[in-house]
Amino acid sequence: MTKALRIIRRGGVLTVLGLLGLVAVYILALVYTPTEVRQGLAQKIFYVHAPAAWAALMAFSLVGIVSGLYLWLRDERLDRFAASSAEVGLVFSVIMLTTGPIWGKPVWGTWWTWDARLTLTLFLFFLFVGYLALRAALEDPGERGRFAAVVGLLGLVLVPFVHLSVYLFRTLHPQPVLVKPSAPSMPPEMLRTLLISFGVFTLLYLGFVMVRYGLQLATDEAAREAHDAG
Amino acid sequence: MQASGPPQNGEYMVAAYVVVAVVILGYSLLLWIRARRVS
Repeated sequence: MTKALRIIRRGGVLTVLGLLGLVAVYILALVYTPTEVRQGLAQKIFYVHAPAAWAALMAFSLVGIVSGLYLWLRDERLDRFAASSAEVGLVFSVIMLTTGPIWGKPVWGTWWTWDARLTLTLFLFFLFVGYLALRAALEDPGERGRFAAVVGLLGLVLVPFVHLSVYLFRTLHPQPVLVKPSAPSMPPEMLRTLLISFGVFTLLYLGFVMVRYGLQLATDEAAREAHDAG
Repeated sequence: MQASGPPQNGEYMVAAYVVVAVVILGYSLLLWIRARRVS
């Protein structure tokens, strides 16, 4: 078995475990956690929205860090990982940007508002759509890696602003309940479910990235073999 | 006097959970199909 297939298979196992974990999160959120008095059942959207946001921001941060390393070391494995992480980050961004408005409608009374957190998050999403479009448009691997790495680094600059926007600007978005200077502020049932969900989304991220990396590796190896044969 | 309780908005939670399941399962399926092509 080739290295690419081994990575794909391991990533597949992690993905299946992540999918089973997601079922567990749904059961915990629906059965184990109490219903919040002011927000009702819509508050339970939080158990998938916040971990998806975490996975997306982690994915984009890693794209930026690895892109910086790629510009320095020019190792194609770093470029391959950045491309994989960007695509997976966009998947989690779609979840973040759809579940947020679904929660906002019953709680805020509107699907969307152009406040700092939401607007910056949308900018980050479009930046990485551009990142993947740029990669698709460039054929030369070296040029593609360099140009994409610069865009990836720009995304990394935006990530802290997204996280800190609730402190820096007047915003409707709730402040962090977990990643903040003081202790988490929620009942233990909610906190446990949220922490498990964070773990599950991290597992899904790892599984997706490994499979996506393995697929890219297989494509690159096939292209290299075709080039050598020709 | 009217009894007060949590707002009745369970349909939003259901919609969000369905969206998450569709996106995650959809992407998993897409990767699985792509993996089958290379193996």
